[in-house]
Amino acid sequence: MKARMFATHVALPVFAIAAMTAPSRAADFDWMKFKGKTITFLANNNPVSQALLTYKADFEKLTGMTLKVDGYQEQQMRQRLVTVMNANSDEVDVFMTLPSREGEQFAAAGWYGDLTGMAKNEVAKDYDPAGLSQALLKAATFNGKLTSMPMNIEGPIFYYRTDIFKKCGIEAPKTIKDVETAAGKIKSCDSAVTPFVSRGLKPAVAYTFSNMLHNIGGTYIANGKSSLCSAKGKEALDTYSRLLRDFGPPGVVNYSFQQISALYRSGRAAMAFESSNELRTVMEGGARLKDTGLLPFPAGDAGQVPTTIGWGMAVSSHSKQPDAAWYFVQWATSPEVQKKMALQGIAPPRPSVAKDPEYRKWIDEEPVRKEWQAALDVLATKGSSEVGYPIIANPESREFIGQAVQDLILKQKPIDQACADADKALDALIAQK
Amino acid sequence: MSDTTATLTQDRQKLEMSALSAPAVIFTVAMIAFPVVYTIWLGFQNFSSTGKQSFAGLANYSKLVSDYEFWHGLWVTIALYVLSLVLQLVFGVWLALVLFHAKRLPGIVRSLFISPFMMPPVVAGMMWLVILDPSLGAANYILQSFGLPPSDWLASPTWVIPTVALIDSWQWTPYVALIVLGGLQSLPPSVYEAAQIDGASPFKTFQRITLPLLLPTIVTAAILRSVDLLRFFDIIYITTQGGPGNASNTLNIYGFRVGFEFFNIGYASALMLTLTAIVFGAVLAFNRLRGAVAW
Repeated sequence: MKARMFATHVALPVFAIAAMTAPSRAADFDWMKFKGKTITFLANNNPVSQALLTYKADFEKLTGMTLKVDGYQEQQMRQRLVTVMNANSDEVDVFMTLPSREGEQFAAAGWYGDLTGMAKNEVAKDYDPAGLSQALLKAATFNGKLTSMPMNIEGPIFYYRTDIFKKCGIEAPKTIKDVETAAGKIKSCDSAVTPFVSRGLKPAVAYTFSNMLHNIGGTYIANGKSSLCSAKGKEALDTYSRLLRDFGPPGVVNYSFQQISALYRSGRAAMAFESSNELRTVMEGGARLKDTGLLPFPAGDAGQVPTTIGWGMAVSSHSKQPDAAWYFVQWATSPEVQKKMALQGIAPPRPSVAKDPEYRKWIDEEPVRKEWQAALDVLATKGSSEVGYPIIANPESREFIGQAVQDLILKQKPIDQACADADKALDALIAQK
Repeated sequence: MSDTTATLTQDRQKLEMSALSAPAVIFTVAMIAFPVVYTIWLGFQNFSSTGKQSFAGLANYSKLVSDYEFWHGLWVTIALYVLSLVLQLVFGVWLALVLFHAKRLPGIVRSLFISPFMMPPVVAGMMWLVILDPSLGAANYILQSFGLPPSDWLASPTWVIPTVALIDSWQWTPYVALIVLGGLQSLPPSVYEAAQIDGASPFKTFQRITLPLLLPTIVTAAILRSVDLLRFFDIIYITTQGGPGNASNTLNIYGFRVGFEFFNIGYASALMLTLTAIVFGAVLAFNRLRGAVAW
C-alpha cells in the first residue's frame, strides 16, 4: 500500500514533470496550425482572467483561431462546468480550475484532458515548461497525469499597519504568538481599529486556516482519519477562532476577502490575513500604500508553511479539438503573456518572469510591492497547496472546517465537541470513494 | 347554408386551428414537463462526488428522513416564510391604504413606494449587506447615534432570520401593497356610503367592511408571495450563504449546495422535489381559503 501511495503521490508526478521538461521535439511548431478553428474558454471572471483576456486579440492574430469566452463568477462557472461535463458535452474546450480545491474530484471524474504529452511534444521554442513553478505543476498532477498549467501564484499573506505598530511600540510579528500579543497591545493602544481580521465565512475559512494549521504543525489527516481533534489540530482551531473572536471585527463570521479588504483599506484594521491577490484592491485609492507592511504568515511550531495555490488552465476531456485547445493554454501560460499579466499585478508562476528587469522595475517602484514579491517568493519555495482535506470531496470538507471555526467564534460549542463533530463528518467524507 | 353545413365548417375550422397551434402547444408542454420529469428521474439516481451514476431507488428520499440538515433547512424555510409573509401582508395592507388615500402627488408617492420591488434581489442583497455590516455599515452607526447598542445583524445566529425577513419585506411589501391597492379600487362605493349614513367610525368601516371585502385579494397576494418565500434563495445567497453556521440555511440553499458545490445531483433533486411538494401544498391550502372567503 505504501509503495502504491509513493508511486501515485510522489514518483508519478515527478516523472511527469521530468518528462514534460525534457527538450521539445516540436522543432517545426507552427502557431497557425489550427487557423480557422474556434476555441471556447470557460473563464472565472476574476482579475487573473481579466488580465489575460486583455490580450485576446493577440492570440487570435497569432494563431488565426477565434477565442470564444464564456465568463462567469467563480461559483457560477463551476455550475456551468458541472452541467457541461455531466452531459459529456464538447461545448467547453478550455476551463479555469483550482487544483487545490477541485483537482482530486475533477481528475477522478475524468474531466481533465491529459496535458503530459502535449506539454512535452507540442510546444513553441520559447515556451519553457521547466520555467513554471514546479510546486504548482506537482499540485496539478494526479495519478501521473498533468491536468492543468498554472496561470498565477497566490496565497494568504499578512498585511499590517506599520504606523499603528510604530505608535503602539510593537515590532513586526515573527510568530503566531507575536500576532496575538500585538493584537492585545493594539486593542488597548488604539481602540478605534480592529486589531486583527481574517476569513470567518464558513466556506472561505479553509483558505487561511490551513496556513495556521500547517504553521502550528498540524495535519488534516493522520492514519487515514481526520485529525482536527489532535493536539495540534485543536491548538490551530483554538488560536484561529480566538484571534477572530477576541480581536476581530463584529460579524466576522460573514467575512471573506471583500469585507476584509474593505475594512483594511478603510484604515479600520491593524492586521489582516488575506490573499496576496488582494494587494491591488487594498491599495486602491493609495491610502494604504505607504503605511502597509507585508509578510508571509508568522511562524508556528513547524515554522512557516504558507498556503500556495494558483489558478490553472485545463483542457476538457470532452473537447473535440484538444490539440487546438492546448495551443490556447500554451499561449496563455507562456513567459511573454505571463510577463504582461505580471505588470498588471498578477503574480507570475514563473521565477524567470519574477526576475525580468521590466517586472523588477515595477516592483521596485513601491516598497510595499517589494515586500509583496518577497512574501510570494516564500510562498513559491515553502508553500503547501493543501487547502482543506486532500480528498475528492475537498469542497465539502471545507464546510466542516468552517463550521468548527464558526462554532468556536460564536461560542456555540466547546472545542472538544466542535472538533469531534467536525472529525465525525470528515471521517465519513474521507471514507467515500 | 344549412345548419349542418355551418357546423361542419366550424368543426373544420376548429380542427385546422388546433392543428396549426399544436406544435406551439406541444413545445410549450414539453418545455414545462421535461425539466420536471428529468428532475424526478434524477431523484432516483445516485451520483458520486466524481459524477458516477447508479440507480438509487428511494434511497435519496429515505436519506431525507434522517438528514439533520434537511429538517433544519425545513425549519429555517418555514420560520422565514411565516415571519416574512406576516410582515408583508400587514404592512402591505397598511401601505395600500396610505397610497389609496394619498391626495398630494399620488403618482410620485406611488412610484416612490413601489420602487424597492423593481430592484433586482441581488442588488438589494448587496445594498443591505453594506448597510448592515456591523463594522462599516450605516445601520449600527444610526443605532449608536441614538445611544442604542449595535447589532451583529446578519452575523448573529439569533438575529439572522428576522434580519433577512426584514430585507425581503422591505423589497416585497410594496408588491403586496400594489395588489391590495387594486382590490381597494374595485370595492363598491355604495357599501361605504351606507356605512357613512349609519355613522360607522373609520376603524369600524375598515374592520367590518374593507377587510372582509379585501380578503380574497389578500389571499391572492399571500399565494403569490408564498411561492417566492418558500423558494427563498437570492438574498440569503448574497448576504449570508446560509450562515452564520447553518442558521439561515434554507432548503433551497441547502439543495443548491448539495447539487452544485458537492455535485450530489440525485440527492439535490430529491430535496428540490420535496420543496416543490411543500410549495404546491401551500398554494392548494391558500386556494381553498380563497374559495372560502370569496364574495
